[in-house]
Amino acid sequence: MISPVKIWRSQKKIQNSLGVSGKIISYTRVFVPPAGFESQAPYIVVIAKLEKGDKYTAQLVDWDEKHLQIGQKIMTVLRRTRDPGEEGVIPYGIKFKPL
Amino acid sequence: MKVEIIAAATTKFGELWHRSPRDLAKEAVAGALIQAKINAKEIKALFVGNMLSSSLGGQDHLGAFFAEELKMTVPAMKIEGACASGGLAIHAGVMAVNSGLYDKVLVLGVEKMTDHKPEEVAQALMGAGSDMEREAGATFPALYALMARAHMDKYGTSEEELASVAVKNHYHASLNSHAQFRNTITVEQVLRSSMIASPLKLLDCSPITDGAAAVILTNNKKPVPTGRGGQITKSKKVINIIASAVATDTLGLAERKDLTTIYATVEASEKAYKEANIIPKEVDVAEVHDCFTIAEIIAMEDLGFFPKGQAGKAIKEGKTKLGKGSPVVNTSGGLKASGHPVGATGVKQIVEIYRQLKGIAGKQQVEGAKIGLTHNVGGSGATAVIHILRAE
Repeated sequence: MISPVKIWRSQKKIQNSLGVSGKIISYTRVFVPPAGFESQAPYIVVIAKLEKGDKYTAQLVDWDEKHLQIGQKIMTVLRRTRDPGEEGVIPYGIKFKPL
Repeated sequence: MKVEIIAAATTKFGELWHRSPRDLAKEAVAGALIQAKINAKEIKALFVGNMLSSSLGGQDHLGAFFAEELKMTVPAMKIEGACASGGLAIHAGVMAVNSGLYDKVLVLGVEKMTDHKPEEVAQALMGAGSDMEREAGATFPALYALMARAHMDKYGTSEEELASVAVKNHYHASLNSHAQFRNTITVEQVLRSSMIASPLKLLDCSPITDGAAAVILTNNKKPVPTGRGGQITKSKKVINIIASAVATDTLGLAERKDLTTIYATVEASEKAYKEANIIPKEVDVAEVHDCFTIAEIIAMEDLGFFPKGQAGKAIKEGKTKLGKGSPVVNTSGGLKASGHPVGATGVKQIVEIYRQLKGIAGKQQVEGAKIGLTHNVGGSGATAVIHILRAE
Protein backbone atom coordinates (compact mmCIF):
# COMPACT_ATOMS: atom_id res chain seq x y z
CA MET A 1 0.00 0.00 0.00
CA ILE A 2 1.23 3.51 -0.77
CA SER A 3 1.49 5.68 2.32
CA PRO A 4 -1.53 8.06 2.54
CA VAL A 5 0.85 10.74 3.81
CA LYS A 6 2.99 10.40 0.70
CA ILE A 7 -0.10 10.71 -1.50
CA TRP A 8 -1.31 13.78 0.46
CA ARG A 9 2.14 15.42 0.14
CA SER A 10 2.55 14.78 -3.58
CA GLN A 11 -1.03 15.67 -4.51
CA LYS A 12 -0.60 19.18 -3.13
CA LYS A 13 1.76 19.88 -6.01
CA ILE A 14 -0.52 18.61 -8.77
CA GLN A 15 -2.78 21.62 -9.31
CA ASN A 16 0.08 23.75 -10.64
CA SER A 17 0.72 21.18 -13.36
CA LEU A 18 -2.84 20.84 -14.69
CA GLY A 19 -4.04 22.20 -18.03
CA VAL A 20 -0.51 22.64 -19.33
CA SER A 21 0.09 21.88 -23.00
CA GLY A 22 3.16 20.36 -24.58
CA LYS A 23 4.51 18.00 -27.26
CA ILE A 24 5.42 14.32 -27.25
CA ILE A 25 9.18 13.79 -27.56
CA SER A 26 9.05 10.00 -27.18
CA TYR A 27 6.48 7.28 -26.47
CA THR A 28 6.19 3.55 -25.83
CA ARG A 29 3.36 1.07 -25.42
CA VAL A 30 3.91 -0.95 -22.24
CA PHE A 31 2.69 -4.56 -22.46
CA VAL A 32 4.39 -5.91 -19.33
CA PRO A 33 3.46 -3.66 -16.39
CA PRO A 34 4.85 -3.38 -12.86
CA ALA A 35 2.72 -4.32 -9.84
CA GLY A 36 -0.19 -1.90 -9.41
CA PHE A 37 -0.67 -1.34 -13.15
CA GLU A 38 -1.73 -4.83 -14.29
CA SER A 39 -5.34 -3.81 -15.00
CA GLN A 40 -4.31 -0.91 -17.27
CA ALA A 41 -1.87 -2.76 -19.57
CA PRO A 42 -1.22 -2.26 -22.39
CA TYR A 43 -0.88 1.49 -21.92
CA ILE A 44 1.15 4.33 -23.43
CA VAL A 45 3.95 6.05 -21.52
CA VAL A 46 5.14 9.35 -22.94
CA ILE A 47 7.85 11.90 -22.28
CA ALA A 48 6.53 15.32 -23.25
CA LYS A 49 8.14 18.72 -23.36
CA LEU A 50 5.77 21.17 -21.66
CA GLU A 51 5.19 24.86 -22.44
CA LYS A 52 7.73 26.16 -19.94
CA GLY A 53 10.39 23.84 -21.34
CA ASP A 54 10.48 21.21 -18.60
CA LYS A 55 9.94 17.57 -19.52
CA TYR A 56 7.51 15.20 -17.87
CA THR A 57 6.92 11.44 -17.93
CA ALA A 58 3.28 10.30 -17.77
CA GLN A 59 0.71 8.05 -19.40
CA LEU A 60 -1.26 9.08 -22.47
CA VAL A 61 -5.04 8.61 -22.23
CA ASP A 62 -7.97 8.95 -24.68
CA TRP A 63 -5.66 8.30 -27.63
CA ASP A 64 -5.96 6.87 -31.15
CA GLU A 65 -3.16 5.33 -33.23
CA LYS A 66 -2.78 8.65 -35.11
CA HIS A 67 -1.70 10.34 -31.86
CA LEU A 68 1.27 8.04 -31.38
CA GLN A 69 3.93 10.20 -32.94
CA ILE A 70 6.75 12.46 -31.88
CA GLY A 71 5.57 16.09 -32.05
CA GLN A 72 1.92 15.28 -31.16
CA LYS A 73 0.41 18.05 -29.02
CA ILE A 74 -0.88 17.05 -25.58
CA MET A 75 -2.36 18.60 -22.45
CA THR A 76 -1.96 17.55 -18.81
CA VAL A 77 -5.07 16.18 -17.06
CA LEU A 78 -5.86 14.65 -13.67
CA ARG A 79 -6.42 10.88 -13.63
CA ARG A 80 -6.24 7.91 -11.30
CA THR A 81 -2.76 6.39 -11.43
CA ARG A 82 -2.00 3.02 -9.84
CA ASP A 83 -4.35 0.46 -8.32
CA PRO A 84 -4.32 1.09 -4.55
CA GLY A 85 -5.66 -2.34 -3.61
CA GLU A 86 -8.80 -2.81 -1.53
CA GLU A 87 -7.91 -0.56 1.40
CA GLY A 88 -5.44 1.99 0.02
CA VAL A 89 -6.11 5.66 -0.71
CA ILE A 90 -6.80 6.14 -4.43
CA PRO A 91 -3.82 8.01 -5.89
CA TYR A 92 -4.42 10.68 -8.52
CA GLY A 93 -1.74 12.18 -10.74
CA ILE A 94 -0.85 13.78 -14.03
CA LYS A 95 -1.59 12.09 -17.34
CA PHE A 96 -1.63 13.51 -20.87
CA LYS A 97 -4.45 13.63 -23.39
CA PRO A 98 -3.92 14.39 -27.08
CA LEU A 99 -4.98 17.82 -28.39
CA MET B 1 46.66 4.74 -11.00
CA LYS B 2 47.34 1.05 -10.70
CA VAL B 3 45.40 -1.57 -8.75
CA GLU B 4 46.16 -5.19 -9.43
CA ILE B 5 43.50 -7.85 -9.86
CA ILE B 6 44.83 -11.12 -8.43
CA ALA B 7 41.69 -13.21 -8.86
CA ALA B 8 38.35 -13.06 -10.64
CA ALA B 9 35.60 -15.67 -10.64
CA THR B 10 31.88 -16.02 -11.31
CA THR B 11 29.20 -18.61 -10.70
CA LYS B 12 27.13 -19.83 -13.57
CA PHE B 13 24.38 -17.29 -14.30
CA GLY B 14 20.77 -18.35 -14.76
CA GLU B 15 17.51 -19.36 -13.13
CA LEU B 16 19.17 -21.04 -10.16
CA TRP B 17 16.16 -21.97 -8.02
CA HIS B 18 18.21 -24.50 -6.06
CA ARG B 19 20.82 -21.93 -5.01
CA SER B 20 20.57 -19.30 -2.26
CA PRO B 21 22.39 -15.95 -2.26
CA ARG B 22 24.72 -17.43 0.37
CA ASP B 23 25.57 -20.41 -1.88
CA LEU B 24 26.22 -18.14 -4.83
CA ALA B 25 28.48 -15.80 -2.85
CA LYS B 26 30.41 -18.68 -1.33
CA GLU B 27 31.05 -20.31 -4.71
CA ALA B 28 32.27 -17.11 -6.37
CA VAL B 29 34.51 -16.17 -3.42
CA ALA B 30 35.94 -19.69 -3.06
CA GLY B 31 36.81 -19.60 -6.74
CA ALA B 32 38.61 -16.30 -6.33
CA LEU B 33 40.53 -17.35 -3.19
CA ILE B 34 41.73 -20.56 -4.86
CA GLN B 35 42.92 -18.62 -7.91
CA ALA B 36 44.74 -16.05 -5.77
CA LYS B 37 46.23 -18.84 -3.64
CA ILE B 38 45.56 -16.87 -0.50
CA ASN B 39 43.79 -17.55 2.75
CA ALA B 40 40.55 -15.67 3.48
CA LYS B 41 42.35 -14.16 6.53
CA GLU B 42 44.50 -12.06 4.18
CA ILE B 43 41.42 -10.13 2.99
CA LYS B 44 41.19 -6.80 4.81
CA ALA B 45 37.77 -5.57 3.69
CA LEU B 46 34.66 -6.77 1.84
CA PHE B 47 32.57 -4.66 -0.56
CA VAL B 48 29.26 -6.16 -1.67
CA GLY B 49 27.61 -4.91 -4.85
CA ASN B 50 23.88 -5.59 -4.68
CA MET B 51 20.67 -3.78 -5.56
CA LEU B 52 17.58 -5.73 -4.50
CA SER B 53 18.40 -7.50 -1.21
CA SER B 54 16.21 -4.97 0.57
CA SER B 55 13.16 -4.79 -1.71
CA LEU B 56 13.05 -8.45 -2.76
CA GLY B 57 14.99 -10.30 -0.07
CA GLY B 58 14.10 -8.29 3.03
CA GLN B 59 17.79 -8.30 4.03
CA ASP B 60 19.19 -4.91 4.95
CA HIS B 61 22.52 -5.73 6.54
CA LEU B 62 24.31 -7.26 3.66
CA GLY B 63 27.96 -6.64 4.56
CA ALA B 64 27.57 -8.62 7.78
CA PHE B 65 25.30 -11.18 6.09
CA PHE B 66 27.93 -12.25 3.59
CA ALA B 67 30.87 -11.73 5.98
CA GLU B 68 29.19 -14.26 8.28
CA GLU B 69 28.75 -16.72 5.44
CA LEU B 70 32.39 -16.27 4.39
CA LYS B 71 33.55 -16.54 8.03
CA MET B 72 35.13 -13.10 7.93
CA THR B 73 35.08 -10.35 10.54
CA VAL B 74 36.67 -7.64 8.40
CA PRO B 75 35.00 -4.29 7.56
CA ALA B 76 32.11 -5.24 5.25
CA MET B 77 29.54 -3.08 3.50
CA LYS B 78 26.98 -3.04 0.72
CA ILE B 79 27.50 -0.61 -2.15
CA GLU B 80 24.33 0.28 -4.03
CA GLY B 81 23.68 2.14 -7.27
CA ALA B 82 20.91 0.19 -9.00
CA CYS B 83 22.29 -1.92 -11.88
CA ALA B 84 25.65 -0.15 -11.45
CA SER B 85 26.01 -1.52 -7.89
CA GLY B 86 28.68 -4.01 -8.99
CA GLY B 87 30.74 -1.40 -10.84
CA LEU B 88 30.45 0.96 -7.87
CA ALA B 89 31.58 -1.82 -5.51
CA ILE B 90 34.69 -2.28 -7.69
CA HIS B 91 35.19 1.51 -7.59
CA ALA B 92 34.93 1.40 -3.78
CA GLY B 93 37.45 -1.46 -3.69
CA VAL B 94 39.82 0.49 -5.92
CA MET B 95 39.52 3.54 -3.65
CA ALA B 96 40.14 1.42 -0.56
CA VAL B 97 43.28 -0.20 -1.99
CA ASN B 98 44.55 2.96 -3.64
CA SER B 99 44.24 4.94 -0.42
CA GLY B 100 46.53 2.47 1.31
CA LEU B 101 43.92 1.78 3.99
CA TYR B 102 43.58 -1.90 3.04
CA ASP B 103 46.16 -3.85 1.02
CA LYS B 104 43.81 -6.62 -0.17
CA VAL B 105 40.07 -6.34 -0.62
CA LEU B 106 37.35 -8.65 -1.84
CA VAL B 107 34.62 -7.26 -4.08
CA LEU B 108 31.55 -9.45 -4.32
CA GLY B 109 28.63 -8.80 -6.66
CA VAL B 110 25.54 -10.88 -6.00
CA GLU B 111 21.85 -10.87 -6.89
CA LYS B 112 18.97 -13.30 -6.43
CA MET B 113 16.05 -12.37 -8.67
CA THR B 114 14.20 -15.45 -9.87
CA ASP B 115 12.48 -16.25 -6.56
CA HIS B 116 9.90 -13.56 -7.31
CA LYS B 117 7.01 -12.87 -9.71
CA PRO B 118 7.82 -10.77 -12.80
CA GLU B 119 5.58 -7.84 -11.68
CA GLU B 120 7.34 -7.82 -8.30
CA VAL B 121 10.76 -7.80 -9.94
CA ALA B 122 9.66 -5.07 -12.38
CA GLN B 123 8.38 -2.99 -9.48
CA ALA B 124 11.53 -3.57 -7.40
CA LEU B 125 13.75 -2.61 -10.35
CA MET B 126 11.76 0.61 -10.67
CA GLY B 127 13.30 1.46 -7.31
CA ALA B 128 16.09 2.71 -9.58
CA GLY B 129 13.76 5.21 -11.22
CA SER B 130 12.09 8.44 -10.13
CA ASP B 131 8.70 9.00 -8.42
CA MET B 132 7.34 10.50 -11.64
CA GLU B 133 8.36 7.42 -13.64
CA ARG B 134 6.83 5.04 -11.09
CA GLU B 135 3.57 6.99 -11.09
CA ALA B 136 3.43 6.75 -14.88
CA GLY B 137 3.65 2.96 -14.67
CA ALA B 138 6.96 3.02 -16.51
CA THR B 139 9.19 -0.05 -16.33
CA PHE B 140 12.87 -0.27 -17.24
CA PRO B 141 12.01 -1.71 -20.65
CA ALA B 142 9.67 1.30 -21.07
CA LEU B 143 12.39 3.84 -20.20
CA TYR B 144 14.86 2.27 -22.64
CA ALA B 145 12.04 2.01 -25.21
CA LEU B 146 11.59 5.79 -24.88
CA MET B 147 15.31 6.18 -25.62
CA ALA B 148 15.06 3.73 -28.52
CA ARG B 149 12.13 5.58 -30.09
CA ALA B 150 13.97 8.90 -29.81
CA HIS B 151 17.18 7.37 -31.25
CA MET B 152 15.25 5.83 -34.15
CA ASP B 153 13.56 9.16 -34.83
CA LYS B 154 16.79 11.19 -34.71
CA TYR B 155 19.23 8.82 -36.44
CA GLY B 156 17.05 6.38 -38.37
CA THR B 157 18.18 3.44 -36.22
CA SER B 158 16.13 0.38 -37.24
CA GLU B 159 14.55 -2.49 -35.33
CA GLU B 160 16.84 -4.86 -37.30
CA GLU B 161 19.87 -2.99 -35.98
CA LEU B 162 18.54 -3.33 -32.44
CA ALA B 163 17.97 -7.04 -33.04
CA SER B 164 21.51 -7.54 -34.34
CA VAL B 165 22.88 -6.60 -30.90
CA ALA B 166 20.97 -9.51 -29.35
CA VAL B 167 22.03 -11.87 -32.16
CA LYS B 168 25.73 -11.03 -31.63
CA ASN B 169 25.53 -11.33 -27.85
CA HIS B 170 23.72 -14.68 -28.01
CA TYR B 171 26.46 -15.92 -30.35
CA HIS B 172 29.13 -14.86 -27.85
CA ALA B 173 27.16 -16.45 -24.98
CA SER B 174 26.98 -19.71 -26.92
CA LEU B 175 30.76 -19.91 -26.35
CA ASN B 176 30.56 -19.06 -22.63
CA SER B 177 29.90 -22.03 -20.31
CA HIS B 178 28.74 -19.68 -17.50
CA ALA B 179 26.13 -17.82 -19.59
CA GLN B 180 22.38 -18.02 -18.96
CA PHE B 181 21.39 -18.40 -22.64
CA ARG B 182 23.70 -20.46 -24.82
CA ASN B 183 21.41 -20.67 -27.84
CA THR B 184 22.10 -18.65 -30.96
CA ILE B 185 19.21 -16.60 -32.35
CA THR B 186 18.35 -14.81 -35.61
CA VAL B 187 17.23 -11.27 -36.36
CA GLU B 188 13.84 -12.70 -37.45
CA GLN B 189 13.38 -14.45 -34.09
CA VAL B 190 14.06 -11.18 -32.26
CA LEU B 191 11.60 -9.28 -34.47
CA ARG B 192 8.92 -11.95 -33.97
CA SER B 193 9.31 -12.19 -30.17
CA SER B 194 6.53 -10.72 -28.05
CA MET B 195 6.36 -6.98 -27.48
CA ILE B 196 7.42 -5.82 -24.00
CA ALA B 197 7.48 -2.02 -24.41
CA SER B 198 7.38 -0.96 -28.05
CA PRO B 199 9.71 -1.00 -29.96
CA LEU B 200 11.53 -3.36 -27.55
CA LYS B 201 10.60 -7.02 -27.77
CA LEU B 202 11.35 -9.90 -25.44
CA LEU B 203 14.63 -10.72 -27.19
CA ASP B 204 15.76 -7.07 -27.01
CA CYS B 205 15.73 -7.34 -23.21
CA SER B 206 18.21 -8.80 -20.75
CA PRO B 207 16.71 -11.51 -18.55
CA ILE B 208 16.01 -11.88 -14.82
CA THR B 209 19.02 -13.75 -13.45
CA ASP B 210 20.63 -15.18 -10.33
CA GLY B 211 24.39 -15.08 -10.02
CA ALA B 212 27.48 -13.89 -8.21
CA ALA B 213 30.96 -12.70 -9.14
CA ALA B 214 34.03 -12.00 -7.02
CA VAL B 215 37.26 -10.12 -7.57
CA ILE B 216 40.29 -9.67 -5.30
CA LEU B 217 42.14 -6.37 -5.59
CA THR B 218 45.54 -5.49 -4.15
CA ASN B 219 48.11 -2.75 -4.13
CA ASN B 220 50.72 -5.36 -3.37
CA LYS B 221 53.82 -4.60 -5.36
CA LYS B 222 55.13 -8.15 -4.98
CA PRO B 223 54.56 -10.38 -8.00
CA VAL B 224 51.81 -12.92 -7.53
CA PRO B 225 53.16 -16.47 -7.35
CA THR B 226 52.03 -18.56 -10.28
CA GLY B 227 51.71 -22.10 -9.00
CA ARG B 228 51.48 -25.34 -10.90
CA GLY B 229 48.24 -26.54 -12.41
CA GLY B 230 45.09 -24.54 -13.03
CA GLN B 231 44.51 -21.77 -15.47
CA ILE B 232 46.71 -19.23 -13.77
CA THR B 233 49.94 -20.91 -14.89
CA LYS B 234 48.97 -20.26 -18.49
CA SER B 235 49.91 -16.64 -18.15
CA LYS B 236 52.28 -14.63 -16.02
CA LYS B 237 50.68 -11.43 -17.17
CA VAL B 238 49.70 -9.02 -14.44
CA ILE B 239 46.28 -7.45 -14.90
CA ASN B 240 45.88 -3.93 -13.54
CA ILE B 241 42.96 -1.57 -13.28
CA ILE B 242 44.44 1.62 -14.71
CA ALA B 243 41.33 3.79 -14.55
CA SER B 244 38.17 3.78 -12.44
CA ALA B 245 35.68 6.56 -13.10
CA VAL B 246 32.09 7.30 -12.09
CA ALA B 247 29.67 9.99 -13.27
CA THR B 248 26.15 10.84 -12.16
CA ASP B 249 23.25 12.43 -14.07
CA THR B 250 19.61 13.15 -13.12
CA LEU B 251 17.70 10.23 -11.59
CA GLY B 252 14.80 10.58 -14.01
CA LEU B 253 15.10 10.15 -17.78
CA ALA B 254 12.84 13.10 -18.67
CA GLU B 255 15.06 15.58 -16.83
CA ARG B 256 18.07 14.85 -19.10
CA LYS B 257 19.24 17.12 -21.90
CA ASP B 258 18.20 14.57 -24.54
CA LEU B 259 17.18 10.94 -24.72
CA THR B 260 19.68 9.64 -27.27
CA THR B 261 22.87 10.04 -25.23
CA ILE B 262 23.74 8.85 -21.73
CA TYR B 263 25.81 11.80 -20.57
CA ALA B 264 27.04 9.97 -17.48
CA THR B 265 28.71 7.45 -19.82
CA VAL B 266 30.28 10.24 -21.86
CA GLU B 267 31.64 11.98 -18.77
CA ALA B 268 32.87 8.86 -16.97
CA SER B 269 34.56 7.47 -20.09
CA GLU B 270 36.30 10.78 -20.84
CA LYS B 271 37.66 10.79 -17.29
CA ALA B 272 38.74 7.15 -17.60
CA TYR B 273 40.48 7.57 -20.97
CA LYS B 274 42.36 10.56 -19.56
CA GLU B 275 43.35 8.67 -16.41
CA ALA B 276 44.52 5.65 -18.45
CA ASN B 277 46.11 7.90 -21.05
CA ILE B 278 44.55 6.00 -23.95
CA ILE B 279 42.10 6.73 -26.77
CA PRO B 280 38.98 4.64 -27.50
CA LYS B 281 40.66 3.03 -30.54
CA GLU B 282 43.20 1.32 -28.29
CA VAL B 283 40.53 -0.75 -26.53
CA ASP B 284 40.71 -4.37 -27.74
CA VAL B 285 37.78 -5.81 -25.82
CA ALA B 286 34.87 -4.26 -23.92
CA GLU B 287 32.01 -5.40 -21.71
CA VAL B 288 29.26 -2.80 -22.03
CA HIS B 289 25.90 -2.42 -20.32
CA ASP B 290 23.44 -3.94 -22.82
CA CYS B 291 20.45 -4.22 -20.48
CA PHE B 292 18.47 -3.62 -23.68
CA THR B 293 19.72 -3.74 -27.26
CA ILE B 294 19.36 0.04 -27.65
CA ALA B 295 21.62 0.47 -24.60
CA GLU B 296 24.55 -1.19 -26.41
CA ILE B 297 24.04 1.00 -29.48
CA ILE B 298 23.98 4.18 -27.37
CA ALA B 299 26.97 2.94 -25.31
CA MET B 300 29.07 2.30 -28.43
CA GLU B 301 28.51 5.92 -29.45
CA ASP B 302 28.91 7.48 -26.01
CA LEU B 303 32.13 5.54 -25.36
CA GLY B 304 33.61 7.00 -28.53
CA PHE B 305 33.81 3.74 -30.51
CA PHE B 306 31.50 5.02 -33.28
CA PRO B 307 30.15 8.46 -34.23
CA LYS B 308 26.65 9.31 -32.99
CA GLY B 309 23.99 7.53 -35.02
CA GLN B 310 26.35 5.00 -36.63
CA ALA B 311 26.70 2.25 -34.03
CA GLY B 312 23.55 0.35 -35.04
CA LYS B 313 24.79 -0.10 -38.58
CA ALA B 314 28.32 -1.00 -37.41
CA ILE B 315 27.04 -3.68 -35.03
CA LYS B 316 24.78 -5.10 -37.75
CA GLU B 317 27.84 -5.34 -40.02
CA GLY B 318 29.68 -7.35 -37.34
CA LYS B 319 32.22 -4.68 -36.45
CA THR B 320 32.13 -5.60 -32.76
CA LYS B 321 31.79 -9.36 -33.14
CA LEU B 322 34.36 -11.95 -32.10
CA GLY B 323 36.72 -12.81 -34.96
CA LYS B 324 36.79 -9.55 -36.86
CA GLY B 325 35.58 -6.86 -34.48
CA SER B 326 37.57 -4.06 -32.93
CA PRO B 327 36.81 -3.61 -30.15
CA VAL B 328 35.08 -6.94 -29.63
CA VAL B 329 32.09 -6.14 -27.45
CA ASN B 330 30.41 -8.32 -24.83
CA THR B 331 32.39 -11.53 -25.30
CA SER B 332 30.62 -12.94 -22.22
CA GLY B 333 27.31 -12.58 -24.04
CA GLY B 334 26.66 -9.31 -22.24
CA LEU B 335 23.72 -8.70 -19.98
CA LYS B 336 21.45 -9.85 -22.79
CA ALA B 337 22.64 -13.45 -23.05
CA SER B 338 25.10 -14.07 -20.22
CA GLY B 339 22.38 -12.79 -17.89
CA HIS B 340 21.88 -9.74 -15.68
CA PRO B 341 21.88 -10.41 -11.93
CA VAL B 342 21.85 -6.66 -11.44
CA GLY B 343 24.28 -6.19 -8.53
CA ALA B 344 26.65 -8.86 -9.86
CA THR B 345 26.86 -7.55 -13.42
CA GLY B 346 29.48 -4.83 -12.86
CA VAL B 347 31.76 -7.34 -11.11
CA LYS B 348 31.19 -10.01 -13.77
CA GLN B 349 32.26 -7.50 -16.44
CA ILE B 350 35.61 -7.14 -14.65
CA VAL B 351 35.92 -10.94 -14.42
CA GLU B 352 35.36 -11.30 -18.18
CA ILE B 353 37.89 -8.60 -19.10
CA TYR B 354 40.42 -10.05 -16.61
CA ARG B 355 40.10 -13.45 -18.30
CA GLN B 356 40.42 -11.89 -21.75
CA LEU B 357 43.58 -9.95 -20.87
CA LYS B 358 45.04 -12.94 -19.04
CA GLY B 359 44.46 -15.04 -22.17
CA ILE B 360 42.31 -17.61 -20.37
CA ALA B 361 38.91 -16.75 -21.87
CA GLY B 362 38.61 -20.04 -23.72
CA LYS B 363 36.39 -20.14 -26.81
CA GLN B 364 35.48 -16.47 -26.55
CA GLN B 365 39.13 -15.35 -26.35
CA VAL B 366 40.03 -12.19 -28.27
CA GLU B 367 43.54 -12.97 -29.53
CA GLY B 368 46.21 -10.65 -28.19
CA ALA B 369 43.87 -8.46 -26.15
CA LYS B 370 45.89 -6.03 -24.05
CA ILE B 371 43.49 -3.25 -23.09
CA GLY B 372 39.93 -3.84 -21.94
CA LEU B 373 37.07 -1.62 -20.80
CA THR B 374 33.98 -2.19 -18.68
CA HIS B 375 30.88 0.02 -18.77
CA ASN B 376 28.22 -0.42 -16.08
CA VAL B 377 25.08 1.73 -15.94
CA GLY B 378 22.60 2.31 -13.13
CA GLY B 379 18.95 3.06 -13.84
CA SER B 380 18.20 4.72 -17.15
CA GLY B 381 21.66 6.35 -17.11
CA ALA B 382 21.80 8.23 -13.80
CA THR B 383 25.01 6.38 -12.85
CA ALA B 384 27.79 5.22 -15.14
CA VAL B 385 30.94 3.41 -14.04
CA ILE B 386 33.91 2.85 -16.35
CA HIS B 387 36.96 0.72 -15.67
CA ILE B 388 39.95 0.32 -17.93
CA LEU B 389 42.19 -2.72 -17.47
CA ARG B 390 45.59 -3.43 -18.98
CA ALA B 391 47.77 -6.55 -19.19
CA GLU B 392 51.34 -5.77 -18.20
